[in-house]
Amino acid sequence: MRSLLKTVVLTLLLLLASSFAVFAGIRLSGGDVTAARLPASATAADRQLFRHQMGLDQPIFKQYSTYMGDLFRGDLGNSLTNNAKISALAVDKIKNSLILGATSMLLVFGIGIPLGMIASLKRNSWVDTGITSASVAGMAVPNFWLALIAIYLFSTRLGWLPSAGQGGIKYLVLPAFVLSAEGIALTVRMTRSAMLDNLNQDFVRTLRAAGLSERRIYFKHVLRNSMLPIISLAGLRVGQIVGYALVVETIFGWPGVGQILVNAVLRRDYPVVQFFALLLVLVVTLGNLAASIGYTLANPKLRK
Amino acid sequence: MNRFRRALKNKQLVIGSIIALVIVVLGIFGPAIFGDYAKQDLLRGHKPLGTSGAFFGTDALGRSLAARATFGIRISLLVAISVTGLAMVLGTIIGLIAGYVKGVIDGVISLLIDFIWGFPLILVAVLAAASIGSGLLPVIFAVGLVNTVAIARVVRGEVLGISEKDFVVAAKAGGYSTMRIITKHIAPNVIPVALVLSSYYVAVAIIAEAALSFVGLGAQPPLPSLGQMVSEGRNYMRLNHWESTIPGVIIFAMVLSVSLIGDGLRDLLDPRLRTALERARVK
Repeated sequence: MRSLLKTVVLTLLLLLASSFAVFAGIRLSGGDVTAARLPASATAADRQLFRHQMGLDQPIFKQYSTYMGDLFRGDLGNSLTNNAKISALAVDKIKNSLILGATSMLLVFGIGIPLGMIASLKRNSWVDTGITSASVAGMAVPNFWLALIAIYLFSTRLGWLPSAGQGGIKYLVLPAFVLSAEGIALTVRMTRSAMLDNLNQDFVRTLRAAGLSERRIYFKHVLRNSMLPIISLAGLRVGQIVGYALVVETIFGWPGVGQILVNAVLRRDYPVVQFFALLLVLVVTLGNLAASIGYTLANPKLRK
Repeated sequence: MNRFRRALKNKQLVIGSIIALVIVVLGIFGPAIFGDYAKQDLLRGHKPLGTSGAFFGTDALGRSLAARATFGIRISLLVAISVTGLAMVLGTIIGLIAGYVKGVIDGVISLLIDFIWGFPLILVAVLAAASIGSGLLPVIFAVGLVNTVAIARVVRGEVLGISEKDFVVAAKAGGYSTMRIITKHIAPNVIPVALVLSSYYVAVAIIAEAALSFVGLGAQPPLPSLGQMVSEGRNYMRLNHWESTIPGVIIFAMVLSVSLIGDGLRDLLDPRLRTALERARVK
């Protein structure tokens, strides 16, 4: 328990350090922020004045503390490209990303675990071969290409689902499936190998000798033992989904954090980049922390 | 010889190697065979697969898809293999030091490793692009950083286990230098793991490079890259889907071949190492 506490404290310190690194990286970069707001005819003196008014000529530590102070007061600054208040944008973007991310997480476990169990039950049959090959392919297909195939098939050809945008549940289906594809494949693989590992353990032999039914051994004891590492590492899936969401949201025009971050990087809209970059760093760090806590709690050997 | 025969019996390894060979040959000789990737002919745009004069057809600007795709393979492989190779060397060295020396040095290194390891490669690349600008440089930085850390993490874990073994304890008691123990006794036992792991990370790097180019933050035009080609082609799916299908299939085949090779090599390894690899792949 004490080592866990130490991990939490150190992780939070590293989070602070990395937020500074990201902040400094974005602010100190060579890109000219004045290009986004001032006309080409602006003189060097105008540009200097603009930078001064934006506070960009102050020492980086000073800028960081000012920014963090504003952040905690709820003032996130304005976008350089359309002057929108970032705090007003953020609520919607975060909500949309949460909807997409949570649905994908549900799909990862809701589809991955049962498929992995079926594969392990029907080990070495054609069902197993089919599921295992599909999961190898699922890990190899780049999700942006999978997205294009899905759009071509289900929206261009068949016209069943919309290709982009946001509205009812129909708009959620394609992006959520594409975003979860690799996670599903990985979960199938992990579940199958964990189930097979556990079936060969001594406790199964003991339970069989005690006269328990195969069904009970499989669904109660083996399943529970196999699920612990998979569920406890769910936090790692958060990081994976955040990474892929950057691409998937952009393709499907899903108005979430990933899409706005990528667009802001392309337009060099640094106040927007800054906030959403820091937000994602925070989310990923918390996901990893949750995974390491979960893993420690689930493993009695590590629980001191 | 025995090991070679075992390798030939391994279906995944054989199939993966054949696909990889075809792709590498395309990447090496393709640009020379299919001509200039930048040569435009606006009147000959959107030609489908099998058009005479342009093997894979042409894109919107009438440029040869074959020339562009094969050059894209070259860039993709160059970034993925060279950077992951470098990451393997660095990661192995860092892992060896942290795992063997232990103490404060290990504490600091493993704290950093655990922290960075959790970050998805694509997010790191986007953050890098936000500060150093779009192009191949942020991809190279991100692949290098994340893969070094991932390899160091597993190597460190392996070294921790091995350095408790009798043969290492005996070598220490025999008065051998730390350098000699690490290079002669420990490193040979962890290098196979690092190698197999690297083949998986080559796959991750290929995907990250393609994804970043797809959203416009990776290789910048006129330099062709596979992800960028998929992205340009998606606007013409009804007109000539080959413009994004061809680069898409190539990326898929590259990643699949590398993963198959990784799986095949893993099966040839010592079974004890397999669990370490499975654990490393949970991300």
